[in-house]
Amino acid sequence: MEPLLRLTQVKKRFGGIEALKGIDFDVYPGEVHALVGENGAGKSTMMKILAGVIPDYAGEMAYKGRPLRLKNPKEALDLGIAMIHQELSVMPELSVAENIFLGRQPTRGRVVDWRRMNAEARRILEALGYPQVEVERPLGDYPLGVHQLAEIARALTSGAELIIMDEPTSALSPMETERLLALVRRLAEQGKAIVYISHFLEEVTAVADRVTVLRDGEKVATLRAEETDKSELVRLMLGREAQFFERAELAPRARAGEPALELFGLSRPRAFEGVDLAIYPGEIVGLYGLIGSGHFELAETVFGLARPNAGQIRVAGKPLRGGPRRAIREGLAYVPPSRRTGLFLEKPVYQNVSLPWLDRLFGPLRELAAAREVTHQVGLRPPDPTRDVGAFSGGNQQKVAIARWLVEPPKVFLASEPTRGMDVGAKDEVLSILRRMADAGTAVLLVSSEPETILAAADRILVMAKGRIVAEYTSGEVTKEMLVHDAAGKLKKTA
Amino acid sequence: MAEKPKASKSRLLENARALAPVWTLLALIAFFGVYSDSFLTLENFGNILNQVALLAIMGTGITFVLLTAQIDLSVSYMATLAGVVAAYATAAHLPQPWPIVVALLVAAFLGWISGVATAYLGIPSFMSTLAMSLIASGLSLYLTRGRILFDLPPLSKTLGSGRIFGVKWLVIVAALTLLVGHLVLKYTRFGRYVYMTGANPKAAELAGVNTRRVITWVMVIAAFTAGLAGVVGIGRLGSATPTAFDGMLIDAIGAVVLGGTSLFGGVGGIPQTVVGLLILGVLRNGLDQVSVNIYAKTLITGIILFAALVFNILFAGKKES
Repeated sequence: MEPLLRLTQVKKRFGGIEALKGIDFDVYPGEVHALVGENGAGKSTMMKILAGVIPDYAGEMAYKGRPLRLKNPKEALDLGIAMIHQELSVMPELSVAENIFLGRQPTRGRVVDWRRMNAEARRILEALGYPQVEVERPLGDYPLGVHQLAEIARALTSGAELIIMDEPTSALSPMETERLLALVRRLAEQGKAIVYISHFLEEVTAVADRVTVLRDGEKVATLRAEETDKSELVRLMLGREAQFFERAELAPRARAGEPALELFGLSRPRAFEGVDLAIYPGEIVGLYGLIGSGHFELAETVFGLARPNAGQIRVAGKPLRGGPRRAIREGLAYVPPSRRTGLFLEKPVYQNVSLPWLDRLFGPLRELAAAREVTHQVGLRPPDPTRDVGAFSGGNQQKVAIARWLVEPPKVFLASEPTRGMDVGAKDEVLSILRRMADAGTAVLLVSSEPETILAAADRILVMAKGRIVAEYTSGEVTKEMLVHDAAGKLKKTA
Repeated sequence: MAEKPKASKSRLLENARALAPVWTLLALIAFFGVYSDSFLTLENFGNILNQVALLAIMGTGITFVLLTAQIDLSVSYMATLAGVVAAYATAAHLPQPWPIVVALLVAAFLGWISGVATAYLGIPSFMSTLAMSLIASGLSLYLTRGRILFDLPPLSKTLGSGRIFGVKWLVIVAALTLLVGHLVLKYTRFGRYVYMTGANPKAAELAGVNTRRVITWVMVIAAFTAGLAGVVGIGRLGSATPTAFDGMLIDAIGAVVLGGTSLFGGVGGIPQTVVGLLILGVLRNGLDQVSVNIYAKTLITGIILFAALVFNILFAGKKES
């Protein structure tokens, strides 16, 4: 049998960076071929080439045995190559059936033939094993798993033979995940070819026939799924022996007094569930997770930006409820994962710094004095608190976001991705600011999706996957491999 | 990420943007000065101030609202209503100065309702204030039964058409309103919260600013200054009618925008509003002085306002990139 699609020595460079360095890849009808690798390994570039998003690349692509060069996504779709993105492109207000036939509704004359559309939608969903979904209801009434289903059904009705799925389960509950994996298997049995991209390695080994591992734009290996396991895949994804910044030696710390922050069974729908956590003054706790694992949402919720639907937050033993203002008063500080949401780029540094403290710090002179003091502490360059934040480099903007909370050292500092997009020097500086804060008695929760950042700074490490804390490390050697392994999740086994 | 500060060129551009309304104003003054003998006189300058005084009172509140990136489309109707209430209460023999107090409280209360609807219920301010303008307008009609009220509070008459040391009280009230507005915006915590809420509501919330309360309060302020304009305005007109100030809406918002206060919040202020008021005043007055077809006046004013809006949007769009 010949492959449905074959890539031969496909290369792609973006400016000076070689994103793909000669990839061979193929997928057969009736096969699920998984694609795994770290962020930046080249998965998304490859996927975009397959889906016709990137038309200019070196190397050959063959589809059904014939050479093919896709010029745009529409062409890919017409040939039967459908891509299902991580961010779904569904319309929650429209009915399930309308979503399935979006843009291609069956018509009678010039009007939509609703009866036929609904009937066909029902037939497809039944064939996919979801007979209970009511196709006339708005898609928004259903959970995300059904949204995914609608997209898959849409791909099938448009005649897709090759379906590319990008992180299809990252937002799904364990039960929805199981059903989706079963659906993927069923599609393969019906002769469709599936390219399945995921961080969740146990799902990958459960659902795929073959797994291809990418690293730094190269294909490391293609393995039969039943002959490999999660540990081997992690090892292949990370490759080389862990370097010094990819390992850490944790020493158990003597904990002083009562916890600065405690969470009891904190839950928020579609974000995290039943999180228990205690952080003590003086320690930096690293919270690692893949994007979408709920760790950023957890920090945001503790700071009062979203309401948990269950559980309790306590700061220094006292229950905390209410919005950010209340949280700040109780000694919490927060840096959001995106600078744009946390800073006023068109306002001078000193106004960015002083805003939470205006109750006792109002007046340009006092504000400037305080801003000078704290921006000096974080090493802002140039050290000019009258300049607009937007005029600083990204790393220095981030320093402003942190410096604000040094005016009055917080009891608990929730820092989400505080070193994102920084060069090594700036990263070290920011992490040493966190260390100094901890030494001064602040409990720091360092939330990140970069294992290196966590390993470089944390005294204790927690790993989150799909909204739950799945691992904790308090002592001994921890490596990136271990963190990636934990975050890659466990597949819930049910009989 | 490369550690390089952005060039100072953008700051120059920023300054040019901030000063553009001033150049517009100077150009208009020069233009009318050349083409009309009666334009550049002290007396005419007094006329201009007098003509924009009511707009200035109203514009002070609108400046607050625009700075938080909201809008208030009910101000002119609020002014009408406040005038009607003051006159109605006077006719009903409520002792002075209570009619004025009641009128201002009614306006502020309705502003508070729009504010709560916008900030806490999430109704876009253009819609909540549009609905509120109907309520205000409806109340005016209901109270007057469509008639004109001539019993005005004495204080309204004094402030609306009296003079002190040769200066119109109306101009003094307008100047004081602008001054208080300026002091609040520049020298109080609340003023800072107004700017920060408009500049980036999410970031303001992260820094502990109660952005909902700020938005509610600016709507109260806008309704209050509109009410003040109405209470003083009936004194100038000599009567309160159920549609007295309805036509001022576009001018009042237009003046604030012409001055350079951003429709997207966070940028601008009372000095800008003063410039905008003068642009509008000079334009209106100047067009009367030079022999322009009177039927073209509104068209020309409209075109200039539209140009200012395009300018406002183009520069605001720049910051997204």
